[in-house]
Amino acid sequence: MNHFDKKALEIDCLAEATRICEFMRKTVLKDYRRRGVVVGISGGIDSALTATLSVKTLGKERVLGLILPEKESSPESEVFGRHLAEWLEIKTETVPITPILESLGVYQRREAIVRKYFPDFTDGWKYKLSISKDTLEREGLNFFHLIVVDNDGVTHKERLSLNDHLEMVAATEMKQRTRMIILYFYAEKSNYIVGGTTNKSELLQGFFVKYGDGGVDMEPIAHLYKTQVFQLAEFLGIPQEIIKRTPSPDTWSAGVSDEEFYFRIPYDLLDLLLYAHERQVPLEGVSNVLNMPPEKIMRLYKDFDAKNKATWHLRIMPPNLIPSFTPLEDPAASSGVF
Amino acid sequence: MQIENEIRKFIMENFLWDEEVNLSEEDSLLEKGIIDSTGVLELVAFIEETYSFKINDEELAPENLDSIKNISQFIQNKLSFSREGLNREAVRI
Repeated sequence: MNHFDKKALEIDCLAEATRICEFMRKTVLKDYRRRGVVVGISGGIDSALTATLSVKTLGKERVLGLILPEKESSPESEVFGRHLAEWLEIKTETVPITPILESLGVYQRREAIVRKYFPDFTDGWKYKLSISKDTLEREGLNFFHLIVVDNDGVTHKERLSLNDHLEMVAATEMKQRTRMIILYFYAEKSNYIVGGTTNKSELLQGFFVKYGDGGVDMEPIAHLYKTQVFQLAEFLGIPQEIIKRTPSPDTWSAGVSDEEFYFRIPYDLLDLLLYAHERQVPLEGVSNVLNMPPEKIMRLYKDFDAKNKATWHLRIMPPNLIPSFTPLEDPAASSGVF
Repeated sequence: MQIENEIRKFIMENFLWDEEVNLSEEDSLLEKGIIDSTGVLELVAFIEETYSFKINDEELAPENLDSIKNISQFIQNKLSFSREGLNREAVRI
C-alpha cells in the first residue's frame, strides 16, 4: 500500500490535464457563472501551466493574461510572460506596479532595514533574504539571513532581528497583495474569475501570501507537486525557456531561488519526501530509495511539520463563531502528518 | 535557578498566555507547539537583550533553545564564557 520509489510522482499527463480542465470548466462556468479567467503571468512555470490549462478549457478568447512587473522583478519575467502569451495567443494587459509599491513605501521600508545592517548600502547594491541551511546537516531552527551584494559583487550576510525580519516580510508581501488587487479589478470588470497558481509543494509548506498570490477564486494546480507541474508543462508543450527557468519568488533585487529562499532542498527531492511523509511510507524504504540516512530524513520531516504548522492559518477561512463553520485548525495539520 | 525562572516566566507570559499548561523543564517547546519559528526569534531577542550577549547562527539549535533546561544551560555557559573572557582580558592588562 505504501509502495515508494523515485517514480512515485509520475502522472498520466493526459488524464490529469483532462481532469483539471473538467474541474475548471465546472468551476468557472457553472459554479461561478463567469465568462473567463484572469491569470497573473509571472514568467514562471506555475502561472504558465494555469494559463495554458485555462486556454485548453475555455479557449484563448476567454483568458486574459496580466503582466505585473516592478523594478525589482527579473527582466526575464516580463519577457517570458510575453512569450507565453504570444504562444497561447491570449490578450494581455501590462500594469507596472512600481509606482503603487513606491506609494506604499515598500522599497523605502525595506531599504531602511537594509541600511541598519549595511550603512553603505546604495544604488546598484542588490539584496535578498535566504533561509538558514543548517537543517540539512544537523538539527537546526529556521531563521533568515539578509544577504547584500555590493557594486563589486562582494556578498555580505547578517541575521535579521525579529522586528526587522517581520517588517521586511510584511513590506515584501505588499508586492503579491498589490498584484492581487489588480487581478481582481480586471477579473471583475470582465466578469471573469482569478485563476490561482499555487502548487501542492507550496501549499503544504505555506509558501504563498495570504490575500496575495493566495487570494484567488480557484486553485487548479494546488493538488500537483511542483515536479508534477513540470511534467504537465512538458506534456502541454509550454516553452522550454519557462520550464528550464529556476523557480524563484522574484521579489528581491538579488536573484534568489525558491530552494535558497525557503525550501532548502531541490524540488525533486522535496516532493518525494513530502509525498513519503504524507503517506507515512516506512522510513527505511524512503532511506533506501533516496539513498539518504534516516536521521537526515527525520530532520527534514521535522522542518516540513514546523513550516506546515506555522502556516496553518494561510490555508483556512478566518476563524469565526458561525456554528458548524469554525475551522480552528487546518485539517491537514490535525491529521498527525504535517 | 534564577535564569530558569526568568525563562519560564517569559515563555508563560508570551507564548502560553493564560493557558494552564504543565511545562516541565525538559519539554520540547517546538514539539509541544509552544513556540514556532517566529517564537524562536522572539526568544532569541529576549535572551540577547536580557543577558547582553549575541547568539551566533550556529548556536540557533534545539540543543540550546528547545527546552527551559537547555535554554538555561546555554545562557549559563554563554555568561560563564564571557566572564572568563573578561577575566583573561583583565590579566593581560
